[in-house]
Amino acid sequence: MNLFRSEEHARRWSEYDADFERNLQPVAVWAERFSGEMFRRRLDPDYITWYTAWRAAQSR
Amino acid sequence: MADLATLDRANVFVLRHFIDTGRAPHYADLARAFSIAPEEGRTLLRELVDSGIPAWQHPGTDYIVSYPPFHSLPTQYRVTVDGEQKWFAQCGLEALAMRWLFPGGTVRIDAPCLDCGERLAVEMRDEQTLLVDPPAMVGYSRSVVGGAPETRAWR
Repeated sequence: MNLFRSEEHARRWSEYDADFERNLQPVAVWAERFSGEMFRRRLDPDYITWYTAWRAAQSR
Repeated sequence: MADLATLDRANVFVLRHFIDTGRAPHYADLARAFSIAPEEGRTLLRELVDSGIPAWQHPGTDYIVSYPPFHSLPTQYRVTVDGEQKWFAQCGLEALAMRWLFPGGTVRIDAPCLDCGERLAVEMRDEQTLLVDPPAMVGYSRSVVGGAPETRAWR
């Protein structure tokens, strides 16, 4: 999970895998994705409790 | 087995230790803070890492390697907060979540592009993205984001 100067740089990376082309996104897209509750709540005093319940709900 | 309330407290302790020092605590630090025996601290830390969060210890040891969004070993993602550099991010994408641990702080991520080695920089403060240099910068993962730990390519 790395940052690159542009899409062209990412595609030239020795470990680039075209099967994961959908994971090649502008920084703004990743910044939004990493703005969810899972990331914002990490310092909350009940985070593990919340995260455990959240994961269980995701897997249903 | 520790109850969730104890794991909650341990999580805050580990994150606060990273925020304050830039590195992971040892289980003895956790034990001291919780007024428990070192061996109980070791067990508690293992249970916390095994709770499902994308954290891990160095194989065969009780040393935290990574605890999101932080990394206890230097990575290419150097994190500077309000002008002070003492943190490393778990990966380039988790670096973008570092700001939530430093509310109100200006968080700067410096890294090399793994293709050409040229510099990259991102600055964020809370909801704001202050700088993306170069503007065409992208993030890429060759694994399922949020997938099972063994599939995570940053390991």
